[in-house]
Amino acid sequence: MKPFTYLTPATVEEAVSLFGQHRETARYMAGGTDVIVKVKEGWMGPDYLINLKQIPGLDDLHKNENTGELTIGALVTHAMLEQSLLIRSEYPIIYDAVSNIGSLQVRNMGTIGGNLINAVPSADGAIPLIALDGAVLLKGPEGERSVAVKDLFVQPYETVLTPGEILTKITIPAQASRTGSAYIKFGRRAAMELPLIGIGVLLVVDEDLSTCARARICLGVAGPTPLRAVKAEQMLEGQPVTPDLLTEAGKVAAEESQVRDSVRGQAWHRKEMIRVQVRRMGLKCLDIIHQKARQA
Amino acid sequence: MTKTISFILNGDEMTCDIQDHWTLLHLLREELGMIGTKEGCGNGECGACTVIVDQLAINSCLYLAADVQEKQVQTIEGLAVHTGSLHPIQQSFVDNGGIQCGFCTPGMIMSAKALLDKDPHADPEAVKHALAGNICRCTGYVQILDSVAAAGRQMAVKKTTHEAGYSDPGSVIREPGDQTAGEVTR
Amino acid sequence: MSEYTVVGQRVPKLDAAQKAMGRAEYIQDVRLPGMLYGKILYSRHAHAKITAMDVSKARALPGVHAVLTGEDIPPKLRMGFYKDNPPLKADKVCCFRDEIAAVAAVSEEVAKKAVRLIEVTYDPLPAVFDPEAAMEKDAPLVHEAHKSNVLKLPWKLHYGDVEAAEKQSAYVVEERFTTTWVTHCCLSTSGAVAVFDASDNLTVYSNTQIPSLAQKDFLETLGAMGLKGKRVRVIKPVIGGGFGSKLDTYAYEHIAILLAHKCRKPVKILFDRKEEFEATSTRQPTVIYIRQGCDKKGHLTFRDIRMILDNGGRTSWGATTPSVMMMPITSLYRVPNVRYDAKCVYTNNTYSQAMRGYGNPQATFAIESSMDMLAQKAGIDPVMFRRINRNEPGDETPQGFKITSCGLGQCIDAVEKELTAGSPLAEGEGIGYASLIHVGGGARIYKSDGCGAILKMDDFGKVDIFTGGTDMGQGLDNMIAQIVAEELGLLAEDINVVHTDTDVCPWDVGAHASRSTFVAGNAALGAAKKARQNLLAYAATLFETAPEDLVMKNRMVWVKNDPEKTMPVDKLLRKAHFSPGGTMLMADYFYDPPNENMGKDFRCNLSVTYSFGVHGVRVHVDKETGKVTVKNYVAAHDVGRAINPMLLEGQVYGGVIMGLGYALSEEVMIKDGQIKNPNFRDYKLFTAKDAVPITAPVIETDDPDGPFGAKGIGEPGCVPTAPAVANAICNAVGVRIKDLPITPEKVLAAIQEQSKGS
Repeated sequence: MKPFTYLTPATVEEAVSLFGQHRETARYMAGGTDVIVKVKEGWMGPDYLINLKQIPGLDDLHKNENTGELTIGALVTHAMLEQSLLIRSEYPIIYDAVSNIGSLQVRNMGTIGGNLINAVPSADGAIPLIALDGAVLLKGPEGERSVAVKDLFVQPYETVLTPGEILTKITIPAQASRTGSAYIKFGRRAAMELPLIGIGVLLVVDEDLSTCARARICLGVAGPTPLRAVKAEQMLEGQPVTPDLLTEAGKVAAEESQVRDSVRGQAWHRKEMIRVQVRRMGLKCLDIIHQKARQA
Repeated sequence: MTKTISFILNGDEMTCDIQDHWTLLHLLREELGMIGTKEGCGNGECGACTVIVDQLAINSCLYLAADVQEKQVQTIEGLAVHTGSLHPIQQSFVDNGGIQCGFCTPGMIMSAKALLDKDPHADPEAVKHALAGNICRCTGYVQILDSVAAAGRQMAVKKTTHEAGYSDPGSVIREPGDQTAGEVTR
Repeated sequence: MSEYTVVGQRVPKLDAAQKAMGRAEYIQDVRLPGMLYGKILYSRHAHAKITAMDVSKARALPGVHAVLTGEDIPPKLRMGFYKDNPPLKADKVCCFRDEIAAVAAVSEEVAKKAVRLIEVTYDPLPAVFDPEAAMEKDAPLVHEAHKSNVLKLPWKLHYGDVEAAEKQSAYVVEERFTTTWVTHCCLSTSGAVAVFDASDNLTVYSNTQIPSLAQKDFLETLGAMGLKGKRVRVIKPVIGGGFGSKLDTYAYEHIAILLAHKCRKPVKILFDRKEEFEATSTRQPTVIYIRQGCDKKGHLTFRDIRMILDNGGRTSWGATTPSVMMMPITSLYRVPNVRYDAKCVYTNNTYSQAMRGYGNPQATFAIESSMDMLAQKAGIDPVMFRRINRNEPGDETPQGFKITSCGLGQCIDAVEKELTAGSPLAEGEGIGYASLIHVGGGARIYKSDGCGAILKMDDFGKVDIFTGGTDMGQGLDNMIAQIVAEELGLLAEDINVVHTDTDVCPWDVGAHASRSTFVAGNAALGAAKKARQNLLAYAATLFETAPEDLVMKNRMVWVKNDPEKTMPVDKLLRKAHFSPGGTMLMADYFYDPPNENMGKDFRCNLSVTYSFGVHGVRVHVDKETGKVTVKNYVAAHDVGRAINPMLLEGQVYGGVIMGLGYALSEEVMIKDGQIKNPNFRDYKLFTAKDAVPITAPVIETDDPDGPFGAKGIGEPGCVPTAPAVANAICNAVGVRIKDLPITPEKVLAAIQEQSKGS
C-alpha cells in the first residue's frame, strides 16, 4: 500500500481545515472498508488520509421523541444499525438493507456515511434512506447545507459533495402512522453479496388500511445511481393497494429502470426481478402495516 | 509517517512504533511476528484475518494499525496462552472436525468468539450470519457450525456458573447504540 | 461392535490443535534470513507478439537484485507434460496469464514497483476464445509451430458397436452440455521459496501436492540451468488447501529457482488473491455432445460422447482429464457399447489443471443429466432406472475395469430412503439423483502408482512414520496414524506422521486420484506389519512362546492364554535396544497397487478397486425469479471402510458444498481471454449462510485390497452434485439446464421459454 500520513482531527471544523491545507492530496476516511481497498489496489493514492472516526458525536443514533425525527450520525456503522432495536422495529427497510452489507466484520467497520459517499450504484444503504425521504447534512469550507439523499448522487462514484465537504449526519423525518417498508437484495448467494438488484418499497396507507397515501419504490443497481421509480409510485398513490396493482407497479418500475448487463447480472433478469420484487416487497409492507394495526 | 501507539494486545500493554499506512494485519504478522492471523485476500472478502478489536470482529487487512490506539486487540494467539489449555471454541473445533487445512481457522474462531462472548446462546441462524464473512473451502461449513454450536453450549454453562476464566480482561461490552438517547434498551 | 480399537474412531485431526492456536506454518509464514521477494509481470494481451521489452528502469530501482525476462530462460526449460510452456515467455504471449518478466527485490513493495517499471511493447495478434471456433480452418493459430490448434492427444475409444446398438435401442436421447471454468480457491494462496546452498544444491519450500514429482521437475530445471547432478530438496509447509491445484509445478516455482540462483539469496514468491485467480489453473471446461440409449426394459444399450475441451494458451493437466472422464463414460452403470472422442483445442484463454474429480464431474454432469432424460423418455422412474443399470461386484466394464467391492445398490437405497422420508414435496419442489464411480485404489497414471513408508519406534513406545503421502488438510496424517496404531496396538496419539521433507520421506506419486488413504495407507500398513512381526518375534523369545500366541493391544504385549506374561510395548522396545547386540525397531515398505496402465485402446484395470456413491437432493425453485434453494442433500458413498468417520464426513460435506458451488454459483468469468472476477466478491463461493443440510450415509463394503477395507473418498463428494441438482430442478419445474452454473437467469429463461411453448 502506498504510504500516507494519517491525520486525526478532533472536530469537523479541524477536519475541514486540514483538507483545506492539503486539498487534492487528501481524502477523508471513516470506516475505511472502501478507502483502504482503493488505496491498496492503487485506485487512489492520497498523501493524507483524514480520519473522521475520532470526531465526537458523529456516531449519534437517536429518535427525537417530540418530533419523531431520526438522526443517524455519519459514523454509525452498519452493525450499529443492524443491532439497534429501534431500527429493527420501526425502520425495517433500513434493517433489511444494512444487515446484509458485506460481512459482519465489514459492518463493524463500515459506516452509513461512507456507504453513501462511496456512491456505488449498488449501495445498499442509500435505498432505504431515499425511501424514507432522508436528508444529509453536509459541512464544508463554505458552511453547511442539507441535501435530500435522493439528490446526493451524480453518477457512479460521484456525489454532489464539493471538495472538503463532510457528510455529518442523516435525518429521517417522522414516519406517518400506518407505514410499512421492506428491502430485498437479490444476489446469487445468501451473504457477502453485492446486489444484482436492490429493491426497497415503502407504503403509507389511509385509515382503511388499503388506500395508498404515499409510495416509495427505490432501486439499486438499476441505473448509474440509486433511483426512484416515480411513475410506479404514482400508480399506487390514491389507489387501494392490491396484489394486481402491485404487479402493475412492478412492471412500470421495471420499465422506468435503466438496468444494464454486467458481470454480476443480465439486464432482462434484473428487470424481471424488479417486476417480481416490487410486488413481493409491497405485500410485505402491507403485512407489516396490518400486523402493527392488530397490535395497536 | 511514523508514530507511536499504545494498545492492549491479548491482555498485555503494548507500545510500538508504526507507519501510518500499516494495516493491523501488517503490524501483527510482519512486525510482531504473530503468524496466527492469516491473509487470504487482503480486501475484506474472506475473513481469514479476523481479529477482535474492542469486542468487535473486524478484518485486520482493512483496519489501520493507527486505529488500535487505546483499544483492546485479541488475536488467535491470545486465546490459549492464559490458561495453558485450549479455549472452548478451539477445543470444539478440534473435537468436531471443524478444521481441515486450517487456514481459515484462526479467523473463523475469532468470529465465533466475538459472537459467543456476546451471546453464547446464539441460534444456528445467528451463527451463520456471524460467520458468513469467513470463507472456508474445505469443510462445507457443516462441522464448523457444529463446532460453534457445541462451544456455545459450553460457554453458556461457564457463564452461568461464573467460571469464565478463559474470557479476556476488561471485557465490558459496549453495545453499539445503547448509550443513545432514544434507543430502546435491551 | 467393530473388531478394531483405533480404526473407525472419530480421532480429531492430529494437527488440529496446532491449527486452532494459529501456530501452523504455511508458505506465507516461511521467512529465511536474507530472503528476497519475487514478483511476476504478466501479459497485457490475450495474443500478441512482444516486440520490445525495456527493463532498465526496473533494474535501476534501489533494492532490486535481479530482473529476468524470457531471454534468461534456458532453452530446454519447459513446463507441463506437453512442454509448451517456458516459465517466462520471450517472443509472444498466448494468454493474459503468460508470465513475461520477474523481479527479485528486498521487499514486496519494491518488487511490485519494479515490475510496474518494466516497459513492454506488444504487437497484438488476432485471438480466438471459443474452442469450437478455434477448430475452424482459418482460425488464428495459438502456437504457429504446432500447425493446428488441436492438440495431438489420443483421446478416442470405441468398445462394442455403438451404431448397431443404437439401431436396436427402444429409446435414444441426445443433448449438448457445457461446463465452464471454476477454480480451487484454496484459502492459502500459492507460493514458494527457493534457496541454493554453497554447492548449488537447491531447497524449495512449496505447498505442493506432489513433492516427489516436483523434485523431478526442479531437477530438470537445474539440468536446463547447467546444474546437472545437483540435489533438490522439497519441503512442504502446512498446505492451506489443495483440491488438485498443486498437482503440477507452476511458473512461479521455476522463476523463484532462477531468481534465487541469480541472486545467490533465498527468493520467495507469494501470490496475492488476484494473482491466485488469474495465474493458477482452473477446472477444465468442456463442450459435451452425448447420445445414450436403452431397450424397452430400461437396460442401457450404448453411450456415445464427443467432447471439445478449451485447452487455453498453454497445456497443463487439464488436457489429460479425458483419461479420467473415460471412467464414468465407460463404467458408470452397465453399458455394453461405448464410444468417446475428445479434442483439446488451443485458445487464448487461461488453461486448466487437475481439480477434485479430474474431469469426472464434467463427464458425470452430462451422463447423469442424460440418464434422467432417457428414463423420462422410457417412462421409467429415475431411481428404478439407475437400479436396473447399477454396477455389481464381479462386473468387468467395457474398458476392462474389474469391479470388486461395489455398494452402488445400497447407496441408491440409502439415498432414496433418506430423501423421501421428509414432508411431501411442496409447490416448486423437486428431487433429483445422480451416481458416481471413481477410482478407489489409486490409478496407474504414471509408471509407478506407489508410495513408500519408513517406520521407526523409539524407546518410549512412540512411532515416527515417514510417508511419501501428502496431508493438505484432508486428513491423511490421521489415516496413517490410525492404521499404524491399530496394527501396532497403540493409540493414534502415539504416532507421529512426517510428510514434509523429501530428504527424509520416501517417494510417492502425489496426492491425487483419491489415492492417499488407500495407497499411502497400505504402505504404512505394510511397514507397521513388518514392525509388528519383528516386535512379536522378539517378545516371543522373551516369553518363550510362539509369536502367534501373542496379543498386542493398548500399548501392551501379552501371551494370549497366559495374561500374567505381559509387558508394556515401550519396555519391550527398551529391552530390545539395550540388551547386548541390541536392535532398534525400524521397518520400511513400498506399496504399489496392482493397477494397470492404460493400453493403446485404453483398456486396463486402472484401479484395483472403485468407489461408488449416489447423491440425492431436494430443491425449491422460485418460478418467478429462477432462484434455486437446496432444501435437503443426501450423499451416500461406498467407502469400503471408514477409517475415521468424522474426517470422512468432512470430505463429503466439503465436496458437496464445492459441488453445489459448481452447480449453482461458481464461475471464472472470462471475456476475450480476460478474467472479470478475480476476487471473492464476484467469484461466488458458498458462505456459511449458504450452507445446506447434508446427510452422509456411509456404506461399508470392506474392500479386500484396502487398508482395513478402506477405499478412496477424497474427490467423490463433488462428482455427481451438479447433475443431481439439475435433475431436481427438472423434477421441480420441468426445465432442463444444460450449462453450468445453473444461475437464476438460466432457470428463469428456461421457465419462460417453456411457458411460451405451452
